[in-house]
Parts: sequence; structure tokens; C-alpha cells
Amino acid sequence: MPSRKPRVLIVDDEASVLVTYRMILEQQGYEPTAVLSSAEALSAVEKTDFDLLMCDLSLEESHTGFEIFEVARSRTPDVPCVLLTGYASHEAVQQAEASGIAVLFKPIDIEEFLSTIETLVRSGHGKQKASGE
Amino acid sequence: MASPQMRAQSVEIMPQVERRSQLTSGRAAYRLIAAERADEIFPILVEEIVGLGFPRALVAAVDLESGEIRPVAALNCPKTYQQRFNTALWQGENPIVGVLRAMQPAVLPKQAPGGRPIYCHPIVYRNRTVCWEAERERRFECLAVANYHAPRRLELQEQVCRTCNMRAYAAAVVVELNHKPTERQIEQLRQLIELANRYLARLFKVDHYYNRMRDMDVTISQMQTVMQSMADPVILTDSQHRVITQNKAAERFFKVPEQEVTEGAARAVELNNMLFSAALSSMAVSGSSDASRDLTLVDVLEGEEVLFEAVSAPSYSSDGMRTGLVTVMRDVTDLRRADQEVRANLSRLREAEELIRQDRDRLNMVIENVGDPIIVADGAARIVLLDPLGQELFGRVNESKPGDGSGPIAAEELDPKIIKNRVALTSYLTNFTFSFVSKDTGSIRLYQPGSKTEIEYDMRSGKIFDARGQVAFTITVLRDLSAFRKLEQLKLERRMLEIEKFAATGRLAGTIAHEVNNPMEAIKNAIHLLQGQVKPTGEAVYDILKKETERVARIVRQMLGLYRHSEQVGTFDLNAVVEDTLTLFNRQLERAGIHVERDLGKLPPIVGSADQIRQVLSNLVVNAKDSMAPPATNGSAGGDAHHPAHTGGRLVVRNHHLPGPDGVHGWVRLLVADTGSGMPRDFLKSAFEPFVSTKGEKGTGLGLWIVRGIIQNHGGKLKVRSKLGQGTVFMIDLPVVR
Repeated sequence: MPSRKPRVLIVDDEASVLVTYRMILEQQGYEPTAVLSSAEALSAVEKTDFDLLMCDLSLEESHTGFEIFEVARSRTPDVPCVLLTGYASHEAVQQAEASGIAVLFKPIDIEEFLSTIETLVRSGHGKQKASGE
Repeated sequence: MASPQMRAQSVEIMPQVERRSQLTSGRAAYRLIAAERADEIFPILVEEIVGLGFPRALVAAVDLESGEIRPVAALNCPKTYQQRFNTALWQGENPIVGVLRAMQPAVLPKQAPGGRPIYCHPIVYRNRTVCWEAERERRFECLAVANYHAPRRLELQEQVCRTCNMRAYAAAVVVELNHKPTERQIEQLRQLIELANRYLARLFKVDHYYNRMRDMDVTISQMQTVMQSMADPVILTDSQHRVITQNKAAERFFKVPEQEVTEGAARAVELNNMLFSAALSSMAVSGSSDASRDLTLVDVLEGEEVLFEAVSAPSYSSDGMRTGLVTVMRDVTDLRRADQEVRANLSRLREAEELIRQDRDRLNMVIENVGDPIIVADGAARIVLLDPLGQELFGRVNESKPGDGSGPIAAEELDPKIIKNRVALTSYLTNFTFSFVSKDTGSIRLYQPGSKTEIEYDMRSGKIFDARGQVAFTITVLRDLSAFRKLEQLKLERRMLEIEKFAATGRLAGTIAHEVNNPMEAIKNAIHLLQGQVKPTGEAVYDILKKETERVARIVRQMLGLYRHSEQVGTFDLNAVVEDTLTLFNRQLERAGIHVERDLGKLPPIVGSADQIRQVLSNLVVNAKDSMAPPATNGSAGGDAHHPAHTGGRLVVRNHHLPGPDGVHGWVRLLVADTGSGMPRDFLKSAFEPFVSTKGEKGTGLGLWIVRGIIQNHGGKLKVRSKLGQGTVFMIDLPVVR
């Protein structure tokens, strides 16, 4: 599938942050779906198979990014996930690591942001390809 | 020799002598008078009696000590004849004993062989006038005179003169008569015997004087020997203080030596004599009969001054006349010197004693004011001294008998709890005293009467050894740890509060940072999106915007780091925190080619915030890693991971326990060392100030500041050593809290 751009779901309850993430991802040649709430995110996950999920840890009304990852993984077990967070307790970081979820601490270095996405999308493609064929 | 009185008496005697000689032949009188010794008289007498025509004569002498009678001189008397007169005064049946007892001459019939009568004449020591001794002593109890005037029965015990102590003599002259002796013959015999007795009495007295003189010579020579053998000078002087006699020891000072007569010696003798004479005069003036005086004389031979103590006593003759003065001098030079030394030593001793007393008072004051109970015990672990605080805990020491085993006062007067205290202490002291250690620390639980509670005391003991290396005393100081503990607890609480405060500050900073974070994220992303779309004239502004935004982002990230952890204060294991942190950074360190060395000791638990200490370690590890980052020319960061060898340097994390005096508490030391670029000397001074960094734009300058704050809040100590180009060592000491 050389023509299809990698689909990336990006969730953040801060609109300005979300917009800039979406713009950067578009600029880098991804196909981002940017949503502000966990509810929207969950419905997006229901509809689409994403190549990468990027969620802020704390979402509206004490929802967390982990819920979204869980739902998405129930559909596509190997989908790469990145947890975005300004502050994270040890427990959260440990939980993420245990589930094979990458963690990026805000403010995120753009280079690190992009290289992490690239690495994960590529590895996810490899696996999908392998499982598809 | 003869006094005028005596001459007058002898004139009176002369005519009597003349009268007596009438019937005695001139020859006999001459022979008797020519006799020089008393024992010549009896042989002459018997010869003259036989010469008068009597057949035989003998003299039987009475031993006035034993009363025995035996012949001492005889003529024409065979042995068997003589034996008849071997008798004794108490054998009254013997006729001559009767005559002797009666002291009356008698003619005894039929006593001689052939029935012839004998004439028996008793003689005894007698004289008409008193002897010289009685005369001189003005006594008239002369035995000779008594015998002369009152011829009595002969009694042994009476025949010793009470004046001159001389024993008299007594004898019986026995003459054998013809069958019919004439009156004239008897008278002639009587006169001859009386004359002989008269001479005998005189010679007997002379013998007595002679014997006496000989005895006196012996006594004198004995006294001389005694006097000469005395080491001290002895001098006998007359009333004019002229020397009568002196011993050799005295001659050394008062007589010019014969062998070497020098002018100096002569002058010394002269001076000594003058001094001695002056001393005697002053003693005489002082009036007392016995006197002593110190006198310094010069030893004529040695030339040394000798200090004497002269003791004088007057000497008297037997008739009470003062004959002179005996002076004995004792060499007291050494004695006086010793005396002076003793006095000097005594005063020195007093001074020393005073010093010791002051020292002791000072020591007592110190002991009483130490504020901790102090126990001094002897080498047998018996309590000998307690300070007032010690007495509160263990009762008083019986001061009249320290160390007699009873120790403190009688048990019945004490609270049973105090006795229990003492038992605990004694058991400890016994163990310590007989152990091989010279110092000991420990703890003891004792009842404290003041607070009426049991309290744990910290105990330190030491030994004092005597010259032989035996334990002379032990000293034990107790410390009431409850007060100390309270203080420690208070400190800990305050520290906890500080840690909490720090955490609260961190939370506040975190909240602010969090609020700033999202806008920051948007701004940062926006700036990234603007890249390449800015007009060339705006690029400088764009660069400032980008750079400063990145800086704010780092600060926010650092501040978020403080808040990122859940804050729990309690005890934790530092080694676990170290392992956690190193694991967290493991990948980064490996990627940088840094070799990590761990040297973790066995540690007691630390009280504080594990998260904050993790923060400290993280900051230090990140700093170390950054300081050892490979030069940019070395290629990309990813390239390093392929090198199996660690070329990026070494990180050493080491910790160990520094026990306190009790062996348990103290400190835990943590060292974090790297072989990185190090810090310049000027920088070290301000390394822990906020917003100071060696990393330029990459650093926030908050890391070490946060480290310092956390360590201070934990009551710890933080030190850094660094050498540019060689590395940096951080040393952290954290207190171990009870």
C-alpha cells in the first residue's frame, strides 16, 4: 500500500495543542484524525483502523488515554500507542510500559516526537504487512 | 693524810700500847709489828706462843659467811689433832664453839691428849676507834668499835660493818697448857693474843682498803673504757670549766693533735675551747642543773663545722660536794640537716596537697555539673563514687567504708526500684571490669525516680589502670537518651515538615507548570510549523522565539518533574532507590557508552521522601551523563550504541554506612562520581544556586539547586569535588534516624 498515508489518531483536550499536532502530522505526510474528547476518540476508534494512536493522559472528566488504547487494542491488538503527558505518576508510566505503550513527556521535543512516530508507524506497518500476507 | 684531830687521838693511844707490852717479849712485838699482811699474823702468833713454852698452839678461823670453823695456822699439831677443831658455829657441843659464841677466853680442862687443859681465846675484828670511812662520813656505826665496846655473843649476821660494808673476821686461838698453868702464864698468853689481834685488825683493815682500791682501779678502767668507747665527745670539767678529763672523741675538738701541730689546728682548738667554755658559762647562768645547748665546733683534723647538742649534768661526790660538770655532746649535724629536709619536704608536701585538693574540688565541681550520672567503681567492680545524679538512681555510697562491698547505703532504706537499678548496674560493671576491653558503650534501662518511669540510658565506660596494669577504677557515664530522643524526634518532625513544604512547593510549581505546559506545547508546535515560512527579515526574530520557547519548555519540564511523584514520607531503602534510578536511566546511559559501577553497602533504612531522593539521584545521574556526552564530531548519538566497549566514561554510584558511636546510627554516605568534563573552580561556588548551569542552553540550572534543597530538608550534608576535564564527585550524607 504505497499510496495510503499512515492514519494517526491524535487526542488532546486542549484545542490549540491539538491543532498544532494535526498540522505537524499533516506536514509530515500523515493522515491525522484529531479529536478533543475521549468520547469522540472512542467513536473514531470504532470506525477506523488507525496505524498509530496518540493520546493525552488526562482527558475530559477524568477520562484517560488508557481507555482509548484499551478499546483500540481490543480491535487491533498490535496497534502502536503513544501516551502524551505533562506529568505522570510512576504508576502511570509503569502501566504504560507494561502495556507496550510509549510515553512522551510534554513539552515534547519536536525531533523526538517525529522520530518516535516514524519508528512506531514503520514497525506497525511491518507487523500489519506480515499478518496481512 | 692525818688531820690534827687524828693526831690528838693517837697521843692518847700510845701509853696503852706501852702498858700492854709489859708481859710480851720485845721480839714477839717486833715480829708482829713487822708483819705486812693479815695472813702473816697467825703463823707468827702460834710460833711465839710455842716460844713461850707451851707445847702446841693453833688458830681456828670462823668463816663468817658460812659459819664453818677450821684451823688456819698450827704448830706441833698433828693432822688428827687439828681435825678436832674442824667444826662449825652451830655445833654447840664442841667446847671451842661455846667459847667463840660467848666471846670470853676460857681454860677448858682435859681437852688435850693426856688430860691436859687447853686455853681457848676468841678473837674478833675490833678496834677502839672508828675507821677512816666512818670518820669521813661522820658516822659512828663502826663494827670494829662496836665489837670493842660491847663484847657479845658472836652472831654471823652482825659481823658486817654497816658503814664500810666490810665483813669482820673471828677466830679462836687454842693453846695446850701444862697440867698446872700459872696465872702469869695465862695473862702472858692473853696479852700476846690481844696484841696480835690488835695488829691483825689493822692489817685486816689495810687489806680491806687495798682490795677496795683494786676494785676501784678496775671500776675506773672500766669507766674509762666506756667513756673512750663513746663516739660522742664526753668532757668532765671542774667548777672553773677547766677540763679534768675527756674522751678521745672530745680530744678531736679540744686538744691539739700530737702528730701534726699546725697553726690552723691550734687556732681551731683554741676557738673550740672558748666556745665550749662560753656555752658552759651560759648554761651555768641559766641556772638549771641539767641543760642542753647547741654548739658549733670545728673538727680540728677535718676542718669541718660540726653542730653539737651539748647536754651537761653536774657531778657530785658521795658527801654531796659538787665536783664538776659532765658534758656529753651529740653530733646533730646530720640530724639537723635531716630535720631541715623533713621540714622542707613537709612544706612541699603541703603545697602539693593543696594543689591536689584544688584539683579534686575542681574535678568534683565538674562531676557535679556534668549533668549526667557518673559512676566510679574500683577494680573489684564496687561503686566508690557517685555524682548527685548517680545517687538519685542508685542511692548513696556509704562513705565511711567505700568499697567494702556494701557499696551504697543499706538496702532496706532504698526503694526496691533503686535496688533493681543497682543490680542492673553492678551486673554491667562486673562484666565490664573483668572484660578485656578498656572502653565500652551500651545501653541500660533504669528506673528514673524523677519522672517515675523506666528510661533507656546510653552508657559509656572507661578503665583507669594502675602502674601494674591492673584495673584501678572504672568510670561510667550515663546519658538520659529520652531527652535526646525527644530532641531528635522534634528535629525529625521539623525535617518532615520541611520535606512536606518542599513537596507542596513542588506541587504548586507542578500545577503552574502544568497550566503553562499546554499553552507551551501549542506555542512550540506553532513555532515549528512556522519553520521555513518566515520572511528572511523575520528569521532573527523567529530564532529568538524558538530558542527562548525551548528554554521555557525545559524549565516547565523540570518543574513538572518535581510534581511528577507521589509524595510519601516514611522509611525507605536507599539501595532500592538507587537501583530504580539506574534502571530508569539504563538505556540512556548504555546509549552514551557509559559504564556504570555499583558498590552498594548494607544500609539501615532512611527516613524521608523516597521520591525526592530519587529526584536527587536522577538529577545527579543526568548531570553525570551529560558531562560525559561524546564530542559532537563523534557522529550521531545512535552510532554509539553499536560500540560494545564503554568508551563514554564511567559512572560510579557507591554508598555505605558510617556508624555513630553507638555502632548503629550515624550516617549513610552516597557517592555519585563521573569521569566527565568536570566543573570549573569558579563555578563550584555557585553550583547549587538556582538557574546556574554548565550546559548552556540545554540546562535549566535547577537540578543541583533542587538536589541541595532536598538534601537540606532531609538533614543531610552535600559536598562536591570536581576537576575540569577529569570528573566530578558528589558526596551526600543522610542521617540515620532512630
